Amino acid sequence: MAEDDSEWIIESIVGYLGSPEWVIPVTDFMENKCTVFDDEDENKLSYTDIHQQYKKLVEKLLENYMQEVGINEQQFLDACTSPFAKSKSLQAVFQPVLATDDFQMFRSLMVQKNTELQLQALRVIKEQNGALPECLTDGVDVMTELQQQEMKILEDVLKKSKEEYDEEMSRRLLIEKQMGSTSSSSSDKPNKGDEARSAALTSSKQSNTSKPTLGSSVQPNLLPAVRAPTKSSESSDANRHQAEEQSSSTEAAAEAYLEEAHREAGFSKPYTELSPSQQEQLQQRAAYLRQQRDKLHALKREKQKSRQAAEPEEPSHTPPLEPATNLEISAEEKKKLQKRKHLADKLKEEVVKK
Amino acid sequence: MGEAQKGLLSVIEKLKGSTEQEVRIVLLGLDNAGKTTLLKTLASEDVNTITPTQGFNIKSVASHGMKLNVWDIGGQRKIRPFWKKYLENTDLLIYVIDSADKKRFEETGLELSELIDEENLKGVPVLIFANKQDLATASPASEIAEGLNLHTYRDREWQIQACSAVSGEGVQDGMNWICNNIVNRKK
Ligand SMILES: Nc1nc2c(ncn2[C@@H]2O[C@H](COP(=O)(O)OP(=O)(O)OP(=O)(O)O)[C@@H](O)[C@H]2O)c(=O)[nH]1
Ligand SMILES: [Mg+2]
Repeated sequence: MAEDDSEWIIESIVGYLGSPEWVIPVTDFMENKCTVFDDEDENKLSYTDIHQQYKKLVEKLLENYMQEVGINEQQFLDACTSPFAKSKSLQAVFQPVLATDDFQMFRSLMVQKNTELQLQALRVIKEQNGALPECLTDGVDVMTELQQQEMKILEDVLKKSKEEYDEEMSRRLLIEKQMGSTSSSSSDKPNKGDEARSAALTSSKQSNTSKPTLGSSVQPNLLPAVRAPTKSSESSDANRHQAEEQSSSTEAAAEAYLEEAHREAGFSKPYTELSPSQQEQLQQRAAYLRQQRDKLHALKREKQKSRQAAEPEEPSHTPPLEPATNLEISAEEKKKLQKRKHLADKLKEEVVKK
Repeated sequence: MGEAQKGLLSVIEKLKGSTEQEVRIVLLGLDNAGKTTLLKTLASEDVNTITPTQGFNIKSVASHGMKLNVWDIGGQRKIRPFWKKYLENTDLLIYVIDSADKKRFEETGLELSELIDEENLKGVPVLIFANKQDLATASPASEIAEGLNLHTYRDREWQIQACSAVSGEGVQDGMNWICNNIVNRKK
């Protein structure tokens, strides 16, 4: 095959790996499955099944992609083995693909994702309270134990608010569908506010099953996978794709975390087994979290708007959850938070290093 | 999994761009045989804090210019049904036996013969470590070989090696056999 061919194919593949068609299902998968991945030396048997599922997903995606673009495996292979494809920046882009065949790499991606979500959870709590709630900082001295407990409590809280969340999702989905398609407004489900939420309460199941298709149905024609070859800006192109991938994954992460934590919480100690005072605490926190979530959604929507308005100039480096103020945090609380953050960072660092 | 799988895997192999030959080795055997101890010895890690394996461990060991990816799967009875999920694309099987655990020779022999019949291990060379030779009650490797009917294995290369995973004695001899064998096979 001519070298030029390889080049546009590689461009196209890289484009695809930065496109919603790829990023959304892959990020979704990782966020949904990462919670069992800890950084213990020993691997759990369940990792293997998850890895198999991941392989299947990637296979299917790549198969679809090749069909869509009209290249065969040989062309794909030739392109991927061309010198162009082996540049440093592209290697990073290909990591999620490589992870299909490399369990250790897959594992480290998953552990990393899990850490990210934990950090995000901490940020959610911090933002809503101005600091971490007492029950997450008091009484336990050992940091790791503290973290575990905190995650468990958070999971319970999230489980508690699952209904509200599902309802919110299905409402959003409905609105997006209505906006995306030309469908006549069959609005038996009204616009905003609390009535709409309770009205949608019954459709929580629907929101679960329809979520995976969100990417393709909501964003049908973003970023064509095939892009014109640009010889001079190979690496900067790749970087841009990375940036895109990162930003969209960060945004999706916050949301998917909430969803997955519910699911995972199904395996942890049920809400009803907690002591009454714990239950009360959880309920309080659930209320906080609900507020938080609403803020998050508003933020996200705004962001999407501004993104659509000025797509090229805004690679969006600022994470959507960045706390606006932390004025009310006392010095002591700050120290605790820093300690915790440091720990999480260390964990993350180790994961990345591996 | 069809065509795409083959294509995908070969792409990925090339993407790795390493010239180093990678070898996939699966380490199996009954619980308490000493698999994890052996793995840690191979990786030159501390063997004093090992607990029974509930899942699996992986270590990559450089040897004879090759990268050996060694997978150690837990051997407890409840975990054994999962063994077959780890056999695909295996280049070599290491089977570890506690040479001092005579009561379970029959059990370990049965498990081994089931593995030998696995489709994914067809023709795959097998190295048997007759482990814990440092114990006075350990049976010699030759006796174990006889008990396992190793001489009837005609469809593959095999070797039995006496060793002590704790002291490391005999382990290197086994690894040498592996490397010679893999080199012969892959060239
Ligand atoms: N004396 C002696 N003890 C050994 C030797 N190898 C392992 N052991 C001991 O045997 C016990 C079991 O070793 P492990 O390495 O955990 O065995 P395993 O095969 O990984 O067991 P599972 O993880 O349950 O499948 C440990 O107490 C080891 O210290 C050896 O060569 N000599
Ligand atoms: Mg073990």
